[in-house]
Amino acid sequence: MMLKLKFAIIVLLIISNQNVMAQSKTIQGVITDSSGYPLPGASVNVVGSKNNTATDFDGKYTLTGINATDKITYSFVGMVSQTITVGSQTVISVKLAESTQALNEVVVAYGTQKRTKVTGAISTVSAKDITAVPITNAESALQGRAAGVTVVNGAPGTSPTVTIRGLATMGNSAPLYVVDGVLVGNLSGLNPSDIESMSVLKDASTTALYGAKAFNGVIMVTTKKGKKGPGQITFSTYVGSQTVTKRYDVLNTQQYLQYASDLGSNLTARAAEFGNQTTDWQDEIFQTGIMQEYNLSFSNGTENATSRYSAGYLKQEGAVIGTGFERYSFRANNTQNLGKLSIGSNIGVSFNSTNPERAAGGRTLLEHAIKMAPYLPVYNANNLGGYQGPSAADGQDAENPVRVANHGYQEVNGVSIIGNIYAELEIYKGLKFRSQVSLDYYTSRDHTFIPSFRDGSAHFQDYSSTAEINSQGQTIVFDNSLNYKTTIADKHNVEVLGVITKIENKSRNVTAGSRNLISDEIDQLSLQNANLSSNNFETNNLGYIVRVNYDYDDKYLFAVSGRRDGSSRFGSNKRYGNFYSIALGWNIAKESFMENSIFSTLKLRGSIGTTGNDRIEDYRYSSNLATNYTYPFNGEAGIGTTSGSAPNPDLQWESKKDRNIGLDFGLFDEKFTGSIEYFNNKSSDILFAVPLAASTGSPGGTQIQNIADVNVNGYELTLGYNDRKGDFTWSATANFGKTKNEVVSLAPGVTSVLGGPSGRAGLESFSRLEVGQPLFYFWGYETNGIYQNQAEVDAVLAPGQTTFQPGDIRFVDRNGDRVINSDDKTNIGNPYPDFTYGLNLTAAYKKFDFNCFITGVSGNDVFNSNKFDLEAMQRLFNSGSNVMDRSIVVNGQVTNPSATLPRALGASQNWSAASERYVEDGSYTRLKNVTIGYTFSEDSFAKYFSRLRFYISGQNLITITDYSGLDPEIARVDANANSAGIDIGRYPQPKSVIFGLEVTF
Amino acid sequence: MKKIKYIVVVLSGILAINSCDTKDLELTNPNALSPETFFKTKNQVQSAVNACYANLQTRGLYARHIFFALDLMSQEAKGNPQLEGNKVPFSNFTFDASSDIVQFYWESCFLGISKANFVLDNEEKIQALSNSILTQEQKNKYLGEAHFLRAYYYFLLVPRFGDLPIYTTQTTEGLARSSKEEVYKLIEADFDFASKNLLSKSVEDKGRATREAAFAYLGKVLLYQKKYDEALVAFNKVTGFSLETNFYNNFMDETEHGPESIFEIEYDETLGVGDKWGSDTAGDGVAESTLRGQEYGNLGWFNVYPSDDLLDEYEAGDKRFGETFYVPGSVYNEGKNTMVAANFTSSAGIRRGGWKKYQNYYKRTDENLDSSINFKVMRYSDVLLMMAECENQRGGGVQSTAIGYINQVRFRADVPLLALTLTKDQVFTAIVHERKVELAGEQVRFDDIIRWGLASTELAGTGFQAGKSELWPIPNRETSSNPNIKPSDNNPGY
Repeated sequence: MMLKLKFAIIVLLIISNQNVMAQSKTIQGVITDSSGYPLPGASVNVVGSKNNTATDFDGKYTLTGINATDKITYSFVGMVSQTITVGSQTVISVKLAESTQALNEVVVAYGTQKRTKVTGAISTVSAKDITAVPITNAESALQGRAAGVTVVNGAPGTSPTVTIRGLATMGNSAPLYVVDGVLVGNLSGLNPSDIESMSVLKDASTTALYGAKAFNGVIMVTTKKGKKGPGQITFSTYVGSQTVTKRYDVLNTQQYLQYASDLGSNLTARAAEFGNQTTDWQDEIFQTGIMQEYNLSFSNGTENATSRYSAGYLKQEGAVIGTGFERYSFRANNTQNLGKLSIGSNIGVSFNSTNPERAAGGRTLLEHAIKMAPYLPVYNANNLGGYQGPSAADGQDAENPVRVANHGYQEVNGVSIIGNIYAELEIYKGLKFRSQVSLDYYTSRDHTFIPSFRDGSAHFQDYSSTAEINSQGQTIVFDNSLNYKTTIADKHNVEVLGVITKIENKSRNVTAGSRNLISDEIDQLSLQNANLSSNNFETNNLGYIVRVNYDYDDKYLFAVSGRRDGSSRFGSNKRYGNFYSIALGWNIAKESFMENSIFSTLKLRGSIGTTGNDRIEDYRYSSNLATNYTYPFNGEAGIGTTSGSAPNPDLQWESKKDRNIGLDFGLFDEKFTGSIEYFNNKSSDILFAVPLAASTGSPGGTQIQNIADVNVNGYELTLGYNDRKGDFTWSATANFGKTKNEVVSLAPGVTSVLGGPSGRAGLESFSRLEVGQPLFYFWGYETNGIYQNQAEVDAVLAPGQTTFQPGDIRFVDRNGDRVINSDDKTNIGNPYPDFTYGLNLTAAYKKFDFNCFITGVSGNDVFNSNKFDLEAMQRLFNSGSNVMDRSIVVNGQVTNPSATLPRALGASQNWSAASERYVEDGSYTRLKNVTIGYTFSEDSFAKYFSRLRFYISGQNLITITDYSGLDPEIARVDANANSAGIDIGRYPQPKSVIFGLEVTF
Repeated sequence: MKKIKYIVVVLSGILAINSCDTKDLELTNPNALSPETFFKTKNQVQSAVNACYANLQTRGLYARHIFFALDLMSQEAKGNPQLEGNKVPFSNFTFDASSDIVQFYWESCFLGISKANFVLDNEEKIQALSNSILTQEQKNKYLGEAHFLRAYYYFLLVPRFGDLPIYTTQTTEGLARSSKEEVYKLIEADFDFASKNLLSKSVEDKGRATREAAFAYLGKVLLYQKKYDEALVAFNKVTGFSLETNFYNNFMDETEHGPESIFEIEYDETLGVGDKWGSDTAGDGVAESTLRGQEYGNLGWFNVYPSDDLLDEYEAGDKRFGETFYVPGSVYNEGKNTMVAANFTSSAGIRRGGWKKYQNYYKRTDENLDSSINFKVMRYSDVLLMMAECENQRGGGVQSTAIGYINQVRFRADVPLLALTLTKDQVFTAIVHERKVELAGEQVRFDDIIRWGLASTELAGTGFQAGKSELWPIPNRETSSNPNIKPSDNNPGY
């Protein structure tokens, strides 16, 4: 075949040579991407003529009849086109740079769309950006890359919290992830290096096709497919280390003894027992974690078939002791063209093993590390288990965090399979029928084993304990669709899509635990003190989808879509819902009056539409009995049954109406590109756990109702610039997203509700929903220094009160009633950022490449619970070193008026009241990544590799922030939105440095 | 053509498994029972009754907070320096409506009341069961248990909060407060129903409410309302009981449900403790232990110890002192170990004693988070002392009869018997003393000194404010969620 083709070309060349003028010549060359990989099918056009060709499988082209004055344009999908004047050259090989305006072909719901025809709000992230930073989960690739998307990372193996366009619900705010058309809960089973592109669908015109699952936005993930061209093996690896360098400043042993003595505890003798040494408990819980990754892939493609196979291995030791993540991933993507029928499959399997961040007694490791008595050593061979913890003599009960993390283990082992098989048949020209079956399957085995120990009189376990949670879930999606695409009279482009989709979701879990009183040798379950339970869940969805896209000559765009959705999660009278969207676009740049303007792109677009959120617990509409009560009768367990939480048969999905206006522009032949979006979304029927009067004794205390309304609006700006000067190419992209949410209404008669964790025992809750305020804002007291003497107390508070005394915090009596109570509380912080931003700079000079990526958030507040540990002085624990400078009261007068901390053990409100003293500005700007690479290609290595690149890369090296905590990017307390912005001292994001290698054979 | 056929077969195959059926959207919860089909068997009726007891075990009540809060308020217990911040306010009366302990107590009780109402709301279904499933006597007894527990929870609430919303049926609508007289009326009616329908202790399962318990509590409720004659009638029906010869038998695991025990809060660690930290109020899961052992310990980690004032109350030679407290020289662990002075010294200084009542040291060397010892919340000695009080206070009461009741209690304690010639005031003073030493650390004294009007003097200097501290505030959780109880409706001073 190849021979035949070459022969034909030669013959043609000879013929053409004879027929053209003498000065015309033949140009040959190879077109590659920036990494030297050949691009088959790239177009080569002589400007202003019909003389054009395309590259072959090896990226080679030959063009005849060329004059020295001709200009040739080289272009390829997703790349920046280049135009070169021929001059005296006969060989012109071109390296095309990836376009900053992401991809020209955009993945949308149930298909792809040309960027010029998009009428909705979509951000895209390319494979290059995804692999530019050594991320372990695909969600992280969106951080700072996609305008309006907020990503907060956690410990190794945990999925980051992703929010698109701000919070619009009080419940589950996670977006819908669609991997090659498969609906998945998160991307943890996916190796980021297998991803070709990610599209973030942000407005209803792009998401409404997913109906009741699209409320929080949709992230479309496309995995890499085989490329047409010769077989290619790629190997990449990196190894590096990560550390947490920041520490809280706490008391050393000498200071602690002084502080304890001030609080009435003489611990001198006790500290002497341990040699008056100081243990730095924070140093003990942080470690240098080694991370390494290996990826191997093989890609192959012929005219009618492509395939790509990949395998990856990732091992990440956390920067906190006892944490880690390991993943083996495999993927096989295939396509086959059999004439009018094309068949394909995309299947990925991964095996994960996670050692989660441990906690004990409701306290994080970091909280224990701050609070532990500094004179206690980590280890004591005389104690059962080998650790040293506090005893009654120490007067406090922080737990040895090293024992919590390292004594025994917790390991979560999972298998994830994400895959689909499809067939597509062209029934008639332009009319295609497609049938697809998709599977998302997972198993998880969460096994915890803690051997017996006794590290002091405060903490001990006289038996070994084993607990296991086995869970398994599967989602199977059947999609059948008809798609008709035609052009009428050369100008009227019409595309009609109809889909019937059915989703079957099943999950089950078994939870078991037991104790072993006689041995620590066996880490398995037994019948000793055993407990056991299991649950089954099932939900089904049915969807009917129609979409019509029309445009007139690419100039005037019109799109309309609708989905009728049925869900088993809701009661019979609320089971179906309808969702729709309408969008309009105007490609102004294509108008004749714009012909000679600097704009290569100028498009105005607008959309309106609705989506829904069905993510509530299963079976919530039905009334159930709870049988999980136990009480001993005659020495045996009597099982108790009573009514479960208050049901609501009228339960239905939350709905949201999105409005979006966008303007896309590109100047100077797309050198400078950008887009501006404005959106205004109104969520209604938000599921709200309406608090029932506690005295009604309703289990759970709430009833779920579709009752609250929330408004979210904001704007987004994305800008890109790329340029080349000789061997130097560079580009810059920046994005900026601003959102603001506001509770419009809760329930009749309910104007506010308090909820969420405070993060610390003894500290009151402060996350609050209130009409007219942002979701889950912090509600607490303002403060105004310290009462210096009784006269100052009496100036604020009514005489006769005994609660507040000199040395206590002067809470602001906002309503002036001379009493400090909840009427004086106000908004002391908003956990959600005003805006998020990212700046990506890339440059290449000859064989060097450089990438710098900066990301940040601004305007969010953090409730620093660790500051409570450091400064509350609630009772004796190790504390921040600034407690030595607290207010000292002598004869009713503070003797050190410069003190900013109150007296120790003062009014209980000093520590129990949520106040602005613990709230800090959480804004930060972070150098997320900086990479320098060097590529060897086409020289002495060429016979072994087609490409070899080394790089060194650093993550989170510089963070600019006023936040006093270890890390402003704080991991959530739990999945609930009401715990956002509360820093309870979970896994801080470490700094890391890695060395990497990429080889293409 | 062959190819097309092949394609058609493949595609129709895919379509077939994809057929959409709206029936798939009608699912029932496989994990839970439905109320419509319940109350069909004896086990189901009994299970609904069992659930009512579970709230007694919550951390809001006997697993943790009730003994802290009440013993600290009465100053019988003193806090160690490490006493947690949310408990300190009960020793100095600085708690307010944001107190989680107050909230847990409130919610534990009302969740229990709701469970009792779940049974009572289904009375028709229960009564409709055929006699072969459940005899009339059994039907009445189960309903009686629900009435007993509803009254019990209300009787935990009314001394703490005064006026209360009265729920006699399950609802999601928060009600306004009724006067405490109305609440007492309901409690009396419930205990009265229970006393007529419950089984006797001699035949009932250990742990369940009995006829005698109903009479004892009916008497106590009447006494709290100073209805002395009626109370005496009820107390006199508490028959078949006697004082334990060995006072300490009341406080050990092995001697539960003895001759003196009228009603107990049950704990049994061997049934499981896995959900102990899970619930402050709901009583769900398996959490069959109390934290009392650890919290009131002496040797390991502990939170409170007996106050000097309480230790000083005991007469010389009162056997109960050595059964209620450990002091240096006390033996423990089945006599194998002896407490020494160092056991009573801590970073905070020297304690004179440690709690022995309801501690596990009698058979162990240490306490941990799980104690199985039941709380004997109604003992016959309490009934005797209450009878003495009724007899002494009622119009035409006979002091010598009252003294006789007291002397039964004193006789066991090996302290000199009271002369039968004491005056009414002297008898009263004797009762005040006797209840303090007999029932120390049993959450009785605070209510006693409040109803006797002695709180201002007994609690002088502690932060107790007359006119305010007698009652707890209605917790914020209630005033923020019940449109009929506003923050402004709270108790005086809060």
